[in-house]
Amino acid sequence: MPSDRYDTPKTPVSLDITKLDNFKYDMDHCIKCKGCYWVEHSYMPGVNFSVRCPSNYWNDFDSYGAFGKCRIGLGVLDGKLEWTDKLLEIIYADPLCGACDVGCKRNLDLEIGLTLEALRVKAVEEGAGPMPAHKKIAKNIATKHNQFGAPHENRKKWVTKDIKVAEKADVLYFAGCSASYKNQDIAKATAKIFNASGTPFMVMADEQCCGNTIFSVGMLDEARELAKRNIEAVKASGAKTLVTSCAECYRTWKVDYPKLLDIATSDLGFEVIHLIEFADAAIKNGSLKLTQSVDVRFAYQDSCGVSRLSDPWTPWKGTRGWMGCVEPGLKRRRGTKGLYTQARDIFNAIPGATFVEMPRTRENAFCCGAGRGTKEAFPELASVSAKHRMEEVKHVSAEALVAACPWCKSNFAQAIKENGDNVKVMDIAELIIAAVEI
Amino acid sequence: MSIVKSAYNAIESVVGSRFISDDPAICEGYRSGPGGYESGLGYERVMTTIPHAVAMPKTTEEVQKIVKICNRYKVPYVPYATGFYGPRSHCHVENELLIDMKRMNSFEIDEKHFCINVGPGVIYSPIQQECLNKGAYVVIGGGGAQASAIANLIGDGWSPLSHRIGLPHRRILGTELVLPDGEIVKMGSLANGDDPFWGDGPGPDLRGLLRGFTGLRGCLGIVTKMAIKTLPFQPEPLVPTGISPNTGLALPTNRVKWINYQVPNKAAQIKAMFEVGKAEIAGAITKVPLFWRAINKAECKEEFWELWGKENEETIKNFFIVRVLLIGFTSEEQMQYDENVLNDIMAECGAVPRATRPLDESWIKNADSAGMWLMCGSYVSVDYIIESLSQATKHGEFYADTKKKYTPPLMPDYGDPGWFQSFECGHQGYSEFLVYWDQDEDTNGVDQFYLETSKMNIRERCYTSLLGPHQPMYLTGPMYGPNYHEWMLKIKDEFDPLWVCHPPVPLAHDEFVKRAEWMKPMEDWETPEKLPMPDWK
Repeated sequence: MPSDRYDTPKTPVSLDITKLDNFKYDMDHCIKCKGCYWVEHSYMPGVNFSVRCPSNYWNDFDSYGAFGKCRIGLGVLDGKLEWTDKLLEIIYADPLCGACDVGCKRNLDLEIGLTLEALRVKAVEEGAGPMPAHKKIAKNIATKHNQFGAPHENRKKWVTKDIKVAEKADVLYFAGCSASYKNQDIAKATAKIFNASGTPFMVMADEQCCGNTIFSVGMLDEARELAKRNIEAVKASGAKTLVTSCAECYRTWKVDYPKLLDIATSDLGFEVIHLIEFADAAIKNGSLKLTQSVDVRFAYQDSCGVSRLSDPWTPWKGTRGWMGCVEPGLKRRRGTKGLYTQARDIFNAIPGATFVEMPRTRENAFCCGAGRGTKEAFPELASVSAKHRMEEVKHVSAEALVAACPWCKSNFAQAIKENGDNVKVMDIAELIIAAVEI
Repeated sequence: MSIVKSAYNAIESVVGSRFISDDPAICEGYRSGPGGYESGLGYERVMTTIPHAVAMPKTTEEVQKIVKICNRYKVPYVPYATGFYGPRSHCHVENELLIDMKRMNSFEIDEKHFCINVGPGVIYSPIQQECLNKGAYVVIGGGGAQASAIANLIGDGWSPLSHRIGLPHRRILGTELVLPDGEIVKMGSLANGDDPFWGDGPGPDLRGLLRGFTGLRGCLGIVTKMAIKTLPFQPEPLVPTGISPNTGLALPTNRVKWINYQVPNKAAQIKAMFEVGKAEIAGAITKVPLFWRAINKAECKEEFWELWGKENEETIKNFFIVRVLLIGFTSEEQMQYDENVLNDIMAECGAVPRATRPLDESWIKNADSAGMWLMCGSYVSVDYIIESLSQATKHGEFYADTKKKYTPPLMPDYGDPGWFQSFECGHQGYSEFLVYWDQDEDTNGVDQFYLETSKMNIRERCYTSLLGPHQPMYLTGPMYGPNYHEWMLKIKDEFDPLWVCHPPVPLAHDEFVKRAEWMKPMEDWETPEKLPMPDWK
């Protein structure tokens, strides 16, 4: 050991979110640069649209930014802070959109996203969390197998006569709660894209909620049971590829299930892709032909689950030693595997349509504010976020906003209605199918 | 004693209930450390605490009212823009009010007169983009892209882009200051009207008083508005490119270009800077710490140490780089002329150009200071010096020697003396000494090193920027003044007789040395047993 170094003992550490202790180093080393809050500085568009954190945009106090939450997390860990309504609001009024995580990792190696998840797990573990609205969702899922408490038997009502569903196929379409009950046009459009490309697809015999919200609010035991059940169902179906049209389902299947089960995404036993990936490949290999002109000038919402949150999961445990270095090597998830390019390649293939980028785009996109239990517990935050994003849509003179997530679509649609805006919101599946001659 | 309810209620009536809180979870979010600039050190542990309450004003009038209430009820307060400057910009005493300025984020650009007007909540990178959109640029730098422009300019504000212009704070044109008692002072031409065309007259010019050499951390009032000079740039767009963490601005190389040169020795480095300045070319010329190159190449801290671990004192001692930014301000022809002149100068200096990416990853807009924390987790720039170019490098050698004695806990940097560059086209040399450590280790040595540097500067007769708010004033004041400390305290007493504005600054470091056991053995200067200020404990 060279004399210019300390002989620092090595401390065990892992990415396990059931122990907030695993992220003490990360919380300890937040430097308040607010990379979690500001748009990455090279991409900074100017004084307008300069932030990327919906939580801290909604409430200006530092505690609502990830940098404040790191300090609060340490206070919780040390037992200095008691669970109060305000503390729970700070922890749960947050769509966990991942903007903070990728922002921090521009310069540092801190696991901010996992820290915020672990904080919620601790809140649940200590009987303080989640919020009442989340408990209601958990009850709905337990009794009706969907977020809304709608009758389970209505789940497949979106499958109409003009849609061909195979009994057995390599591709399994997981519609998710929102597209099954609230945004059926998305499920229908997705199915028609499969049909138009000549790709046989099946659906689950008994599809149930993916558990996105209950995982996100820290109810890991319940989420883990759902993960096991759903993964077994896919394996039993014989599907090789599971396709989602929902960004939240996509992230849950691809990232959170492996995280819950301590396996790698590649060990799921089947591939998880989003419709974006399917359609992009189908357009490029010629099986999906976009021939109809779509006369629309539109902007795109890089929905968080298909962008900065979608890097595959690999379990990691090891030690931390001198200068905080870890071993074995850890490939940090920095949001670089998002489906940014694939979505844009699709847009460029749509005849007649004009795609315009908003100032905040790709990993710097501003979340709609609805995801991961936020809209249900903090509807004002979701509304403020969506309306703020709509200012950006109007700033680039777009006539429509396209998203890749039904939760984004619903939230934006509500904001547009409340604002009286003359902007259309649609899902990427609906845009694609509009360009397909059926 | 906590903030009395009547004071809290009065402030609440000023800002509205949504913008004030004394909830423990809200206040905990304003804790200084344990991470951040200079954090994890003794000063942060001993001298800082969380606020009793936080208020977020929107207007200058609201700031004035809050400050007057604080005076009336003897509530200590600290102004806070982004909180990036570490412990010295956070609450130091119990039951303190933190005035969070982020809602004061107004921005105006005067394209015709090359000037911007900003509030304290506006940071550097959006300002620079707005300026670039109008064919201008601004030099702020210092604390980085994420720091408040006002805080930067009344605090630090160094940048390689200062090569042409000198100290960035000279670009302050007009300032609106709420004094510690709530009265308002407008500096520069703002004293006589609304046009901030000139910084030092015909009204009172208190800029020097406001910031000293590196700022007084808000202990003489709150700057609520500032007009900043912008400068003509060139018209081609600088296009953001890449995905995090590998992002930057793609440069139009016909008009903007970084070039790295390897030179044979330190004398050649200095000569290159001097000659480039004399020729009045380039937008920046700088020598950065060599480990910054490893930060730039590494994707994670483990990779940094893999790269940096291959170096040693010999490799560092014999490796000299000069980094030049060329800007074709007026035309491609001017750019070509500058490059030809530069090549001639560099050839005379025995320099060899090295492959340089056509990208600006830091300085023009990003000012990437947050990357400083990658390899160790903790960082502070221990001094910022303006001297002649040749003296700046000698100063660096003194620092390198002192650093060795404190490594560890300081990061092994193999004798690299730090960062230095040309200001005002070579008329000034700027040097900055950066130290890094792991805050989870025993950091007493870092605290001691920090103080040791003051003694080193006094012993070696070097200038120092770290006077009042950064070092014991009773150590530095008599040596640099000879009565700087008395002068400073008289001003403080005059402006802030109750010492409600960010106490105990400017005597905070004196107080720290008295409180921290591991610092006491170093106290070999004369200092009053009781420091001349109210007791806020």
